[in-house]
Amino acid sequence: MATLDAESIRNDFPILKNSGKYGEKEAQIIYFDNACMSLKPQLVIDKIVEYYKEYPGCSGRSSHSFGNRVSEEVSAARISACKFFNSRKEEEIIFTRNTTEGINLVANSLCLKKGDAVLTTNKEHNSNLLPWQRLSSEKGVIHKIVEVDDGEGGEEIFLKNFENSIDKGVKLVSMAQTFNLDGSSIPVRDIVKISHDYGAMVMIDAAQSAPHTEIDVRNSDVDFLACSGHKMLGPTGTGILYGKYSFLENTNPFIEGGGTVVNTTYESAVFEKPPAKFEAGLQDYAGIIGLGVALSYLKPKLPLLKNHEAKLNRIITEGVLSIKGASTIGPKNPDSRSGILSFQIEGIDSKNLAIMLDKSNKIMIRAGAHCVHSWFNSKKISGSARASLYLYNTEEECKIFCDAVKKISMFAVK
Amino acid sequence: MICVIALIVFGVIGIFSASHRKLAKEALDCVFRKATLRKCRTNLDERIRSEISGYLITKNEKAAGFVYRNFQLLSWSFTLLLLLSIGYTAYGGYNYYRYGNCYGPVEQGFCIFDPSGKNSQYAGIKSSYNGPTVFPSIEKDDPQIGEEGYPVEIIEFGCYKCPYTKKAEPIVKQILEEYKGKIRFTFRNFPVYQTHKFSNETALAADCAMEQGKYWEYHEKLFENIEKTNSSDYLLEIAQELEIDIGQFRQCYNSKKYLGEVKNDFEDGVKAGVYGTPTFFINNKTIVGPQDISKFRKLIDKELKKKNQNGNS
Repeated sequence: MATLDAESIRNDFPILKNSGKYGEKEAQIIYFDNACMSLKPQLVIDKIVEYYKEYPGCSGRSSHSFGNRVSEEVSAARISACKFFNSRKEEEIIFTRNTTEGINLVANSLCLKKGDAVLTTNKEHNSNLLPWQRLSSEKGVIHKIVEVDDGEGGEEIFLKNFENSIDKGVKLVSMAQTFNLDGSSIPVRDIVKISHDYGAMVMIDAAQSAPHTEIDVRNSDVDFLACSGHKMLGPTGTGILYGKYSFLENTNPFIEGGGTVVNTTYESAVFEKPPAKFEAGLQDYAGIIGLGVALSYLKPKLPLLKNHEAKLNRIITEGVLSIKGASTIGPKNPDSRSGILSFQIEGIDSKNLAIMLDKSNKIMIRAGAHCVHSWFNSKKISGSARASLYLYNTEEECKIFCDAVKKISMFAVK
Repeated sequence: MICVIALIVFGVIGIFSASHRKLAKEALDCVFRKATLRKCRTNLDERIRSEISGYLITKNEKAAGFVYRNFQLLSWSFTLLLLLSIGYTAYGGYNYYRYGNCYGPVEQGFCIFDPSGKNSQYAGIKSSYNGPTVFPSIEKDDPQIGEEGYPVEIIEFGCYKCPYTKKAEPIVKQILEEYKGKIRFTFRNFPVYQTHKFSNETALAADCAMEQGKYWEYHEKLFENIEKTNSSDYLLEIAQELEIDIGQFRQCYNSKKYLGEVKNDFEDGVKAGVYGTPTFFINNKTIVGPQDISKFRKLIDKELKKKNQNGNS
């Protein structure tokens, strides 16, 4: 079976390539905070620099050589995104700043009214919670929450819960495919099928799934999908919102302004077709172009990524669970948790653990509530430590991580 | 308790750095909340604990564990040490303001506020006098310049072996010149014998010279040759130079004829609160040490003005 060659991939990342060996004074970093932000390969960095150095103009507005080149590069990035998600046409790809903006764009453009229901899960990121809370309090939209089960057979239980919650009043199902809280995932195709049967649209928060797994929007038949570029090797401040063209065509833009209209009078405006009507104002062209390159780089590696991450996750899960007082959040089986291990060690605050790992071994993990405060509050847990893996992480790094966590837990709980 | 230290450290660094200003604010919030028996909201104390422990793991795991587990105790210890050192620094600052050195009138050592030690008024005496402070009196046999009834009375308590008393000499001369006819000046002995050898002997010799009407000439010679006045022979040599009757001088000096006078001067000084030489009493105000002449002028002018006003009314 083919495996991902993480060692050779590391050479593409200057921050991994240019530092010393583990254990040396200028030691190699161990970056396990990929669920928050991925590292950037040299070709993405080069592409961003190329824009600023060679053609720093506007796209779609100016007809000079800089403008034409930027338009070409942005178009190439859109094609790259279209291929990445296998969308029917590139016009279904809207560039945003991040997943949050994508979700907010849909929430504010769909014109949901009083009595319409939106269905989410109990593990959603604040980005997929707050917009519905606001619509609920301002417009009387009903926000319903489906419980995710972490036990064995959790998928079946979740689908049962989901079927019990959905009805004809549900207009939108908005759920994360993979939860940043614990790495667990929902069965998207089943959700979409059931939702469509009830006449509900489906929006997938793919912030944690798009960087790690192949997504085929045609096959899954999702109506909207939002993701962030910065979690999938792309620049910060970039994101993608996929939307079925028929929906986009009949949806009003959330933000209006430069670039969204064909013509205006003092009283009226003729809007552009999608995606232009959703991309108001001057865009982050360097970022978009960089994201296009990142997607092209990532796409061929995705088929091997799941096994790579599962293998590493097994190592760190086993290592952490061998520590007295350690417990994980989410499914017990690491294969069901993408590249994420969310854990706690009795007697050590997760934030303290994260700081000590960084100071002692340059191991970077995330700690806290991971923007899922609602879940932690409902469980009366203050937070967790979260190690999240990616294509450039190695088994050696996982072993060093386990040793370091063990060391800290030993002296801290004595 | 580490937040108290953090507040002070980040507060000082924060003067120059905006990022540390933010940390200082967090520390202030932490201190306030801890003082009101609440949990520190920003977790600054926990972050500092983890940063220090994490750093120590790379050096010594046992030390890291010890610090992590006993952080509260260590924080308290360091905070108390910090408060003690602040208190001690404040005490040093007060001493510097009051006595020109960090240790007060009866101790000495390196003072951060005055590394060269040139402002120190260290006297090296420990007073055993516990009674009330008494303004020094003037007796007729004390060496004086000026007449009784002049508006300003200056009494100097000085030591012939004290470099500070010597340093004040040109100032005294200048003042006496400038305020001729307005000041009566009296010199009284305050031999700082614990610190300066031959301070008693020089005082006795000066009084013996006064017996023969050569006090001020001898007084001047003693300061001029302060480095050499370490033997009785040299004191006799000065007397010879000033054409003092050497037989009478020798007898006076050897018999310690004026020992009572010198002791009386010293005790009067102690009773008046003298702790260092030179100490000047200008009417009932004091100046300690060889201060700038402007300080003398200011005080004397003030006293003269007061006298004038009283005289006019």
